[in-house]
Amino acid sequence: MRLLLVEDEPEIQSFVKQSLVEAGYEVDTAESGNAAIQLASQYAYHGLIIDLGLPDQDGIDLILQLRGSGISSPVLILSARRSVDDRVKGLEQGGDDYLTKPFAVAELLARLRNLLRRNLATSEEATRLRVLDLELDFISRRASRGGEVLNLSPQEFVLLAYLCRHAGRVVTRSMLLSEVWGMRIQPNTNVVDVHVYRLRGKVDTEGHEPLIKTLRGIGYVLKDH
Amino acid sequence: MSSKTTNPIMYSAAWRISLWATLAFAIGTMFVFAMLHRFVANDIQRRSDAWLSGEVAVLADVAGRTPKDRLYGRVVGEVAELASREVPDKLRSNSNENDSVFFLQAGDDGTLKLWVGAGDGVPNLAAIRARKFISDVPYDLNVKGFNHPFRIASVRLDDGSHIYLGLSERDELRVLRNLRYRFFCLWLLIVLFGSVIVFFVTRRMLGYVREITEAASRIGQSDLSSRVPISKRNDEVGHLALTLNRMLDRIESSMHQLHTITEALAHDLRSPLTAIRGKLEIVLAGDLKMEQSEPIVSAIDELDRLTEFLNASLDVAEAKADALRLSLSEVDLDRTIRAMIDLYEPCMSEKGLRMNLHSAGPVFIAADAALLHRVIANLLDNELNHLPASCTVSIKLGTSEDAAMLIVEDDGPGFASEIGLHMFEQRVKGRDSKGHGLGLTFVEAVVRAHGGSVTASNRSEGGALLSISWPRETGEEIEAPHSPTHLNR
Repeated sequence: MRLLLVEDEPEIQSFVKQSLVEAGYEVDTAESGNAAIQLASQYAYHGLIIDLGLPDQDGIDLILQLRGSGISSPVLILSARRSVDDRVKGLEQGGDDYLTKPFAVAELLARLRNLLRRNLATSEEATRLRVLDLELDFISRRASRGGEVLNLSPQEFVLLAYLCRHAGRVVTRSMLLSEVWGMRIQPNTNVVDVHVYRLRGKVDTEGHEPLIKTLRGIGYVLKDH
Repeated sequence: MSSKTTNPIMYSAAWRISLWATLAFAIGTMFVFAMLHRFVANDIQRRSDAWLSGEVAVLADVAGRTPKDRLYGRVVGEVAELASREVPDKLRSNSNENDSVFFLQAGDDGTLKLWVGAGDGVPNLAAIRARKFISDVPYDLNVKGFNHPFRIASVRLDDGSHIYLGLSERDELRVLRNLRYRFFCLWLLIVLFGSVIVFFVTRRMLGYVREITEAASRIGQSDLSSRVPISKRNDEVGHLALTLNRMLDRIESSMHQLHTITEALAHDLRSPLTAIRGKLEIVLAGDLKMEQSEPIVSAIDELDRLTEFLNASLDVAEAKADALRLSLSEVDLDRTIRAMIDLYEPCMSEKGLRMNLHSAGPVFIAADAALLHRVIANLLDNELNHLPASCTVSIKLGTSEDAAMLIVEDDGPGFASEIGLHMFEQRVKGRDSKGHGLGLTFVEAVVRAHGGSVTASNRSEGGALLSISWPRETGEEIEAPHSPTHLNR
């Protein structure tokens, strides 16, 4: 998949590009809004990563311009701005997700995958989901492992469902907070960890292979192979 | 203008001012008129007295010199002449001209010797005799059968008899009554007209003031870039608007400066932080041994702590300066808190803490949802970080007339006494606190930015109590009251 990275800070550009390449993407880079528009009109990108603070124009304006010229690929906004309204503005005007600097590379990759997948496939919302021997039924909202029904609270079911939908991919704490609980907060306590820990206690019971893995400093991943 | 007032007109300052002005004007003019009226009445009286005295002297002279048999004729002639000459008001037509003047001569034994006038003169004589004393200056006399008093002048003749000349005060009184009547009509007109003018002028003036007030409060709440309306006139109200606008210019520019500084600071610190973190992560992703990766992981942890601190500091700085940009929406506080409790409960019970919620159903407030989440998260983080095991956190949600009350209390050790009054100041924290000392400062600043208030205290039975009062949306109907729920965890 081909991505366009629009970022003027060389330091950041280089490590983001390196991470993306290592993750298996083809990456073009642009240092300014004009260069980005030129590139975007030449090639069809699967996704764009755009920094809001560009030397020649505002990132939001760039997104508007791109959308205006018919480019509908998902956009991940990088921002050093803090205020919420800027971010929301970015989202409303065609950006699909945002990250504030500084960010974890894993978070960037996780959100990007999420975005690309959201865009590529699928409005067909499965009623059942299988990951290895884990089975989720979205109608009865029950989960079972190896045929044994798991006794999950509704909240735990939502959490497990999110992990299963992103099976095999890193899910960060802030993704869980915003997607499962609908909050953009950064608690300075381990509230999310305790939820995952409890879930793990119910899913990865003795005699089963542990599925939910913790990646230190990054987040979690549900094994799918 | 009046469409904006919610107060009835009786409570407006314009109404009070015009009422007092009218009252003062009415009393003042009434007083001046009373003085003038008195002066005019006295003057008329004095003139008619002088005339009466003169005439009675003439008549006495005539009576003294004229023989008795011819006296009557002479006097009738004189009186008729007087009546026709001296009665000023020619308009009257329905009354007898003759009854305006009478002449009476009474003997010293009280008998009626000569009478010229309307009627037989008996009531006149009776009235005169009813007076106990005889005076040389003219006096008022009420006579039975006549509606108006007479002004009487008398003189004593050499033969011991008295002659009396009476002039009806009817015309004099009518003049004065006319004067009063006309004055009263004009006075009423002027007072009404004046009060209406005063009312509208003051209302117009105060209307400007109110417009300025409304605009200023609107600006204070939301939009710093707009200005109060300026009237073209160069008066006090115009000056007020100009002064306010100049003040707003300065506030806006310093606010703008603050934004620029925090924005620049944030940006300049964040870019290198991002680069450092990214590079460390890339190193970490390579093939490293456990002991090599350990310092890198802890460096990333430190960076994240630094970032968190940077964010919190900048947020608090902005919130403290009332420079938070709020995107308000209607939020159900009850639902938000339940979601928060769902999030925090496992962590709490992991630490051996219990949580319970007392709430009587939905409470709608106007809030920036993201900031509200962070405020509640801050409060619960605080409890998590400071409470020893087996304590209980109680969250109570209630409403007063115009505010939602959120109370978070616990039965732990309470706030350290040395924090005391400085609870909400930056970097103030308990001795054992691991945080930045920014949590409660942020809470207080955000709540204040929404127009609410926070108080913190230690409960008398032990434990900390934080009470947040958040203004409710006015006019918001609360949904059908739910039965109070008691959520025990």
